[in-house]
Amino acid sequence: MDRYLSPPPTSCVAVCVWIPLFALRCEEAQRSELASQPSALLAPDASRRVVWQVSPLARQAGVRPGMTVSQAIGLCPALRLCEPDPVHYDERFALLLAALARVSPVVEPAELGLAYVGTDGLEGLYGGPEQIVEAIKRGMRNAERGTFDPASSSSSAFRVPRSAFRVGWGKGKFVAWVAATRAKPGGALIVPPGEEGKFLAAQPVAVLPLDPDAHRRLRQLGLRTLGQLAALPEEAIVSQFGRAGRRWWRLAAGATAEPVVGRVLPEPISVSLTFFTPVADREMLVLALERLIERALRHPRRTGWRVQAVRARAELERAASWLAEATLKDPSADRDHIAAPLKTRLAQAPPAGAVERLVVEFTAFAPGTAELQLFARDAGAAARAGQRRALRSAVQEITLRLKRPMLHHVIEVQPWSRLPERRYALIDYEP
Amino acid sequence: MRTDRLRAINTPRRVEVELGAAGLPVMVKRCAVESVGEIWRIDDEWWRAPIRRRYVEAILEGGKHVVLFEDLITGEWWMQKP
Repeated sequence: MDRYLSPPPTSCVAVCVWIPLFALRCEEAQRSELASQPSALLAPDASRRVVWQVSPLARQAGVRPGMTVSQAIGLCPALRLCEPDPVHYDERFALLLAALARVSPVVEPAELGLAYVGTDGLEGLYGGPEQIVEAIKRGMRNAERGTFDPASSSSSAFRVPRSAFRVGWGKGKFVAWVAATRAKPGGALIVPPGEEGKFLAAQPVAVLPLDPDAHRRLRQLGLRTLGQLAALPEEAIVSQFGRAGRRWWRLAAGATAEPVVGRVLPEPISVSLTFFTPVADREMLVLALERLIERALRHPRRTGWRVQAVRARAELERAASWLAEATLKDPSADRDHIAAPLKTRLAQAPPAGAVERLVVEFTAFAPGTAELQLFARDAGAAARAGQRRALRSAVQEITLRLKRPMLHHVIEVQPWSRLPERRYALIDYEP
Repeated sequence: MRTDRLRAINTPRRVEVELGAAGLPVMVKRCAVESVGEIWRIDDEWWRAPIRRRYVEAILEGGKHVVLFEDLITGEWWMQKP
């Protein structure tokens, strides 16, 4: 429990592990024919069908993320469109993170296919940056082969073409990320300490976390590289772009190194429901969702903690899947509060088919104050209700076997009486 | 509540008592009384079947603590938790 209260581990030196088009690579690993055809994944959470990830061949034909299906097919009639399987991608990415966690305890997932590994203090274990990067690549390859876990040796943990891995090493996450984007496919780029400024100066401004409008404005100002940006006075950029501008300038100048913040691993609570017949009715799914959340809230491990992140996933017919995740702004242990974002998601982007199995997971928790105590009492009441149910069935069984009730409880009759035998009596126990 | 299903608890149990010269127990169930503690009296239900009891708190040989009472109407001795 203490680990929820302790600060997460951090590391200044970062290794960025990046697998571009991770979801598409997962599909290609399952269906090898996709690798040789123009293909694209549909967005998993859009209300109208738009293209999400596009293979290099489809990109050559002019298909871009965000296009509608008709636009994409119009540009590339041979395009293979795939329904997304977010649960599968999530599982694959979790395996990747687990592989990285075997090399370093400080792992920060950034997005699907992109994670940072903190390497402070690993020199004594592996050696210099080259050896650390090699250890990470080796760990990923082992995970890919499924050799890190004897139990999974028969099947590959995840299959992503080795040429897809890009690794960058540097001080702070930004330098590591830029290095990873500049690494050759399957290779690694190490930015030695002290050379961050020189390395960054030559990079295009597009590597900064910019919105399209800011990117356009920087180009209009004639700023194409980070070196050009860093050469300007910091205040000049701040006056143009505000607080975001200060951050860009500091990143470009190598004046800031954002540390890798390791994950504080929660112990997730997972409950599931398998339907006898696949369910497509949304109201039934909402009902099932609420019941599962109630069940998860009653879990003893949840007592004293509020839920911060919740995930609902569904296994659909024909091996498809559906996933909805929500991070609650205000952690809660209230069923309706937790269910609300999932229900919204269910309404906006319902599963593409009938649901065979529904799973609800609480993946992150937050300690509470006054609310916490209330929930702890709730959990106590729930536990007592469970005990009553168990007692009731035990009493029924005893009565059936012995033909008479053998359990009683004490009730007050005349508690004020001066005669002790008049004060209390026994009555058959009926829970 | 069905009163026919009620079973009284802490009902008095008859006990053999030998009395000393002062009229206080010296032996209870063939066990010597080491000391006598508080003594109190209850008179109740005088309006129907009167109840008159003299309670005696005693420590038996070996340290056992008991509470006895003498039914002042019948003269019988009983044991009961207070």
